[in-house]
Amino acid sequence: MAVFENSKTFSDVIVGFFNLLGDTPQVADKLIASKLVIRFIYSDPDVVVVVDCSGDAVDVRPGDTETKVIVEMSMKADIAHKFWFGKVNLTMALTRRQMVAKGPVPKILKLLPAIKPSYAMYPKYLVENGYSQYNIH
Amino acid sequence: MKGYAGSLLYVDLTSGRIQVKPLDLEFARKNIGGLGFGTRIFLDLIKDAPPFDALSAHNPFVLMTGPLTGCGMDATARWSVCSKSPLTGFWGDANVGGHFGARLKMAGYDGIVITGAAEDPVYLFINDQQVELKDASPYWGKDVYTVTDALTKGLRAQSPKPGQVLTIGPAGENQVRFANLINKKGHAAGRTGLGAVWGSKKIKAIYVAGSGKVDIAHPEKLKALRSELKEIYAESIYISSIKSAGTPAHLDVGIITGDIPFKNWQMSDWEKVDDLGPASIEAKIHAGDRTCYACTVACKKNAEVKAGPFKTQKGPGPEYETVAAFGTMCLNADIESVAKANEICNRYGMDTISCGSTIAFAIDCFENGLLTTQETDGLELRWGNAAAIVTLAEKIGKKEGFGALLAEGSAKAAQRIGKGASRFLTTVKGLEAPMHDPRNAHGFGLAYGVSPRGACHEASLVYEIEGGAMYVPELPELADDLPEGSESRAKLNVACQDYGMFFSHCAIFCNLGAAPLNATQAVAMLNHVTGFDYTLEEVMEIGRRVWYLKRGLTNLFGARAKDDRLPPRIMTPMTEGPTEGSVPDMELMLTEFYKLRGLNEEGIPQEAVLRELGLETLADLFYRKQGS
Repeated sequence: MAVFENSKTFSDVIVGFFNLLGDTPQVADKLIASKLVIRFIYSDPDVVVVVDCSGDAVDVRPGDTETKVIVEMSMKADIAHKFWFGKVNLTMALTRRQMVAKGPVPKILKLLPAIKPSYAMYPKYLVENGYSQYNIH
Repeated sequence: MKGYAGSLLYVDLTSGRIQVKPLDLEFARKNIGGLGFGTRIFLDLIKDAPPFDALSAHNPFVLMTGPLTGCGMDATARWSVCSKSPLTGFWGDANVGGHFGARLKMAGYDGIVITGAAEDPVYLFINDQQVELKDASPYWGKDVYTVTDALTKGLRAQSPKPGQVLTIGPAGENQVRFANLINKKGHAAGRTGLGAVWGSKKIKAIYVAGSGKVDIAHPEKLKALRSELKEIYAESIYISSIKSAGTPAHLDVGIITGDIPFKNWQMSDWEKVDDLGPASIEAKIHAGDRTCYACTVACKKNAEVKAGPFKTQKGPGPEYETVAAFGTMCLNADIESVAKANEICNRYGMDTISCGSTIAFAIDCFENGLLTTQETDGLELRWGNAAAIVTLAEKIGKKEGFGALLAEGSAKAAQRIGKGASRFLTTVKGLEAPMHDPRNAHGFGLAYGVSPRGACHEASLVYEIEGGAMYVPELPELADDLPEGSESRAKLNVACQDYGMFFSHCAIFCNLGAAPLNATQAVAMLNHVTGFDYTLEEVMEIGRRVWYLKRGLTNLFGARAKDDRLPPRIMTPMTEGPTEGSVPDMELMLTEFYKLRGLNEEGIPQEAVLRELGLETLADLFYRKQGS
């Protein structure tokens, strides 16, 4: 059974978290420096979010299926949830196509150091925003 | 003979006798190549010999290519060497890419068996059928870069095609116990110190030029497979990542799960790790791409430090293992100093994993008061002291002062230092562990423990499977989702050893560049090249036999069950980070593994197991009654 009951719940959780990352200079500065525009396509439940780092601030746009993006990442919502806890073996997830990435790999790789602080932020964010039931830490 | 050159060279350095022997087709079919040949030939050479030292003339040295070496496909340039290890005293082998193996086959030889020892320095000159031992005294004492350039240019006029050089550096001559063999300045047969074996035999180098080619049994089928794989490679993120950043790409990925050791395995994260990562490498030292023979993956990178205290020549750059060994392990965030230490290791001919780990061990001893500047020739061996790390690497290569102690390897150095220094060791069977933490993936712990050559992430495919770079759906053990912890890891190790012996030790696929291949594709490539009709079951059986041969050989040299344990430093749980509180359950895994493999209480394969696999020679050596 999927961790999140429906699209709205997962969208609220993930969009709220992306906004938090966008408001955290330690992460946001590096994301903006990357100039990447990424579309996350989640399934089970289905959610689409664009994280646009091409401007002066990180712009998070739920439901955006139109923008031409540089990177597209597809995965189940459960995998994404586990990923933000730092509990997904990224290499294995990509090899076994539990995560599918399309776009320039060197640029995608450069994001990894940028998002490193977020693994510690995610469980805290869940607790502080009324999503404690999803905290697996 | 398709896929094979068809001949083996036997060189006795004591007598100077050189023989060319035909490769037996049945032998080839039964053992595939690489260490499949190497273990058999080595065992035949030593089976009736009294005990011998690894640095004596009695230690044979065997170099073998595989049937795919030089076939022109991606990730098939590799070949292997084996001997008794001067570092561990047990079985030693190493696997290497580059261009030497392909060129050797083009000269008409699948491998070279070297016995005895020369009185004066020699090098082996091979130009197709012309094979001679020549005086190497002008090159003795010279570093790897100098000898490679001198022989490549100096002998060019004597061969119709450009030659390739495999050489040792001063570390091999000085019998540094982790000295290695290097082709093209940066392709190293790195582990277990086989460069010191060459040093003891006074063989400096092999120059090989060949005008032939590797015949393919079914070129059209191979072409079709190449097309199929082209699409798979294009979609592989793993291939794209090593293509763009080389193996140091792992600095960004391994940090997530706690795979990277810091401060001699005492930490799993560090705020300065990005100073050593791909972005820093690209900004500060990157100087272009390199590749092995015919491989379009091109995961090798050049590096250059243009100015400053760590200035280097443009040359082969540090791999992930090297960045971790001289960087994260020593809490050294200066990537230029890592590039310099890498260049020193390449010039002197030293394994970067053992060298960096031994220096990290020495820093640990110094920081804990077991060593002072009196013993270290005045070096302040502090965490992150980049200048001291680089200086010490060079002193080890020269076997000079305090460097002479560390040139023995960390395990022997710990015995000499005493005062409980062994608690800082990260060795299994005397071999320093590679830069992947078993507290992150418990199967690595068992893999390091039972690896015949000592702690090693490439002695099977556990690192690739549990680490996630490979997926082999035809073998359930290599495709199943694993539970967290140590459960099911014994079964995983057995399957990864059997398949790994076939994949990267006999057929000799590259574990990096061939990671996207499934078993069907791997076996098909072998069949298209050789014309044989191997099945997956058959190559698994061959792999299994080779694993027992390696295990048996290391047992013959004295390894026992007690040597299958991880050192306390690696078995100490982290108090924070991704691996917090996690340590491999070695008791559980070893108990299951011994049962699955049919090892007795001493860790030696049971007689019935060996005889069932047709390993009669080994069985006789262990179980034949005196006088019978």
